[in-house]
Amino acid sequence: MRPAADMKDFRRDLVGLLPKLRRFAMTLTRDATDADDLVQEACERAITRSHLWNGEGRLESWVYAMTRNLWVDEVRKRKVRGGGSMAEIFDQDEPSIEASGERAVYANQLQKMILSMPEGLASAFLLVNIEGHSYRETAEILGIPIGTVMSRLSTARLRLAAMLSEDAERRA
Amino acid sequence: MQQTKGLALEIRLSAYIDGELPEVERSELDALLSRDDNARALLERLRAGGTFGNKAFEDFLHDPVPLALVRQIKQGPGITPRFERVATANLPRRNTRIWPRLAAASLVLLFLGGASGFILGSRIDTPVLAPEAAEGPWIQEIADYHRIYARQKQHLVEVPASQAAEIESWLTSSVGVAFKIPDLSRRGLTFEGARLLVANGKPVGQLVYRDSDSNIFAICFLKKGSGEQPDQFSETIRGDLSLVSWEKENASFVVVGPSSDPALQDIAHAVAAVI
Repeated sequence: MRPAADMKDFRRDLVGLLPKLRRFAMTLTRDATDADDLVQEACERAITRSHLWNGEGRLESWVYAMTRNLWVDEVRKRKVRGGGSMAEIFDQDEPSIEASGERAVYANQLQKMILSMPEGLASAFLLVNIEGHSYRETAEILGIPIGTVMSRLSTARLRLAAMLSEDAERRA
Repeated sequence: MQQTKGLALEIRLSAYIDGELPEVERSELDALLSRDDNARALLERLRAGGTFGNKAFEDFLHDPVPLALVRQIKQGPGITPRFERVATANLPRRNTRIWPRLAAASLVLLFLGGASGFILGSRIDTPVLAPEAAEGPWIQEIADYHRIYARQKQHLVEVPASQAAEIESWLTSSVGVAFKIPDLSRRGLTFEGARLLVANGKPVGQLVYRDSDSNIFAICFLKKGSGEQPDQFSETIRGDLSLVSWEKENASFVVVGPSSDPALQDIAHAVAAVI
C-alpha cells in the first residue's frame, strides 16, 4: 500500500500530466469524447495500480503505455460488437475535435489535419518529436518494434511536410 | 543507437534528426548530405514537417481538461466524471407545469420555517462553531469573489503591484494581520496588486497574481481568534476553483486558483513559509 503522502504526490503528478495525457489519447482515438473517456479510464487504472509505480523513469511513459493498452482493448471490444475490422474502426472519416468558443479556427484545422494521418503516425510523432522520448521508449509505450517507430516517424514527417505545402498554397 | 543501413533514406535521415544513429552512420550521412542536393532537400522536408507538427500539437495542450476528472483524481473516488458529463449533456428541459412550482414553493416555505426556528433557537443557546464549520462560509465567499474579480481585465485590483509598500501597510492596518507580499515569480506567478474584501463580516486582504496563461491566483487572509490547527493545509475544490487553506498566528489564509492546477498545494506551502 502506498503511503498517504506518496499517494497525494502521485495524484498531483497525475493531474499535472492530464493535458499531455489527453493529447496522447487524442492521437490514439482521434475523437475528443473517446479521448476524454480513455483518459478517465487510464487515470482510474493508474490510481488503483499506483502501488506498482516504482517512481523510476517517467510517470508519463507508464501511464501512456497503460492508456495505449486500454485503447487496444476498447478497439477489440468495438470490433466484436460492431463486426468491423480494426482498420475500419481506426479509419474514421474525419477526426472529431470540439472547437470551443473563441478557439482559433486555424488551430482547429491544424489539429484535424494532424489527426487525419493514418493510425499510429501521430502517436509516434508526438512521443519522439514533441515529447522527446527515445525510439526504445516509444516502442515500449506503443507496443511496436523500434523499426516500426522509425518508419512511422519518417512517414509522419513527410506527410506533415506535404500538409504544410498544401496549407501554404491554400492560404496564399 | 539504431542501425539503419539498408533502410530507406527518409528513415535514416529521420533517425539522424533525432540523434538516434551511431557515430559511424552519422558521419556517413554527413558526407552524403554535403554532396547530394536531393538528400539535403529530403532532410529539409523532414525537418519542416517536424516543425509544422510541433505547432499543431502545441495547440492540443490548450484544450481544457475535464474538471470533474481533476476533482476525482485529487480527492479520490466518489465522483464519476463520465456520468456528470453525460448527465449535463442530456439534461431534459425543465417541465414548466404548475405542480412543480407549487412543490418548490412548499419547499421554500418549509425552509423559511426551519430557518426561523433555527434563528430563534440560536438566540437561546448560541453554539460555538467548530473550526471546520466556521471556515465553510469564508471559503465559499472567497470562491465567489474570485470568480467575479478574476474576470476583470481593466480593474483586476484596487491597488496595483507598483505600490507594494502601500499595499502592505494598508492591508495590515485594515485586516489586522501583519504580512509581506510573497514573491512567487519562481513559480511563474506575477504579482498584480491587491484588494480589500469582506467575508464572514470581517475585512479580508487579497493579493492577486497572474500566471503566463493569464490564470488568476489569489492569496486571501483574515484575522481569526482561534489559531488552532497551525500548519495544517486543507484543499477544497469548488467547481473550477481550488482553495488551499491554513491557519497561522491568529490568521486564516487561503490560496485560490484554477482547480486544474496541480501545483496549488506547493504554492500554498511556499506562501505560508514567507508571508
